[in-house]
Amino acid sequence: MIDELRFERVIDAPPDVVFEAFTTAGGQQAFYGQDDPGWIVESECDLRVGGVWTVTFGPSRSHLYRHRHVFEVIDRPWRLVLATTEFRADGSTLDIAIEFAFEERDGKTHMTMTQSGFPTAELRDEHGRGVPNAFARLERAIHARE
Amino acid sequence: MHHSATLNRTFFALSDPTRRSILERLAGGPATIGELAEPLGLTLNGVKKHVGILEDVDLVVTAKVGRSRECQLGPAQLQEATGWIDAYRRAWERRLDRFGAYVEERR
Repeated sequence: MIDELRFERVIDAPPDVVFEAFTTAGGQQAFYGQDDPGWIVESECDLRVGGVWTVTFGPSRSHLYRHRHVFEVIDRPWRLVLATTEFRADGSTLDIAIEFAFEERDGKTHMTMTQSGFPTAELRDEHGRGVPNAFARLERAIHARE
Repeated sequence: MHHSATLNRTFFALSDPTRRSILERLAGGPATIGELAEPLGLTLNGVKKHVGILEDVDLVVTAKVGRSRECQLGPAQLQEATGWIDAYRRAWERRLDRFGAYVEERR
């Protein structure tokens, strides 16, 4: 079962540069990009509280994922809080909260991404320990066979 | 042929809501037949029958513990779940890596 996931990086640039990159097209393309040829990233970002940042990405037009982020807090250049919905390839969705913190350390940025608010019961049952997406897939498979 | 037969049995095992409830309960940790029976309002024999079907397709494994039979999720399920979390974490790790590299390359 997951309660919180935390990721950290030190980036060799001051917080205002990192924040600016993260909230504009180039950085967002990099965040969701991959080196694979043909990889698609389409990002539309309305940077304001209540605004939506939608990213569609994936290896081909027929296999795309989508993340929809709603900005809940924008504290430039230190902090962003997003309410995120992941639309998964199997048709399921996952709602989580993501907080980005950009902290200055000796001219560099200590960037922290914290993910929380996992729907624990669902995750426990479907993802965390038991049967990842299995029930949803199963229901569809059973209905398809009926 | 064998694979297909197993898949059919797995679908059958999972198609029953009581058996799905048993799996959901076991996702929270191991339980004895008695512990499974009570909240489901089933007899011990009823639960044994369902657990037997789940065990048959490796969704559940059981072991005798003292006078009880303890049930837990089968190894295939745990592997799948662990794989999911690892893949999820790796995907976000890679995003931060790429973003960090992008910012540093631009400087």
